[in-house]
Amino acid sequence: MKDILIRRTLGFPRTMVWEALTTSHHLAAWLMPNDFRPVLHHSFTFRTAPAPGFDGIVQCNVLEITPPARLKISWKGGALDTIVTFELEEKGGETQLTLSHAGFEGLSNMIPRVALGLGWKDLLAKKLPTYLRTNQSK
Amino acid sequence: MTYVAPNQDPFKAIADPNRRRMLDLMLQDARTVGSLAEALGISQPATSQHMQVLRLAGLVDERVEGRRTFYSVRAAELRTISDWIAKYEAFWTDKLDALEAHLARMKN
Repeated sequence: MKDILIRRTLGFPRTMVWEALTTSHHLAAWLMPNDFRPVLHHSFTFRTAPAPGFDGIVQCNVLEITPPARLKISWKGGALDTIVTFELEEKGGETQLTLSHAGFEGLSNMIPRVALGLGWKDLLAKKLPTYLRTNQSK
Repeated sequence: MTYVAPNQDPFKAIADPNRRRMLDLMLQDARTVGSLAEALGISQPATSQHMQVLRLAGLVDERVEGRRTFYSVRAAELRTISDWIAKYEAFWTDKLDALEAHLARMKN
């Protein structure tokens, strides 16, 4: 089940976007400080400021790394035990990036039923720009 | 209907897979600890302990019928959790903006 899906076209070559996604110091510059290495099954952390229910440490593992197309990592922090996948497609010199953050499991199952008077899609339409959309199909 | 005032973080309460499964089951029907223990395949004392965490987090309501107590999910507390997921989406949107800005710097 995919909970968050963001697709964005970046005006940069795919190899360059791949480098930004798979090099520790680049990731630190745009995402979070980390000890990532582009090695399958490598365990690493991202570190950020703590928040309620979250100690600020995201425990990750490289689940799949297929240059320069696909990076899949486990993402565990706070109540979350999820999977983040980056996919890169070459599009006429530009790069289409698809980010999926999946595995909100029990949480997302219960939310549409009881927690939200307004639907999940309505919530997103109000809060997020046009290039963001969800996919709640299984 | 009794209600225990929340004094435990709901995020910690739902961090455990058994407790998430309990919430899922209680969303379908009010349940006793015994029926939850059976559905989860864990002991009643363990299920009671999980239920205590959920109660302290204010995630469940309880209703006593004779000698049995039925538990169900309180929707209001789950709203904070759904807000939290919405924050994660905003997080990624911000980070991808930062990625684009960073790529522009890499190019120069």
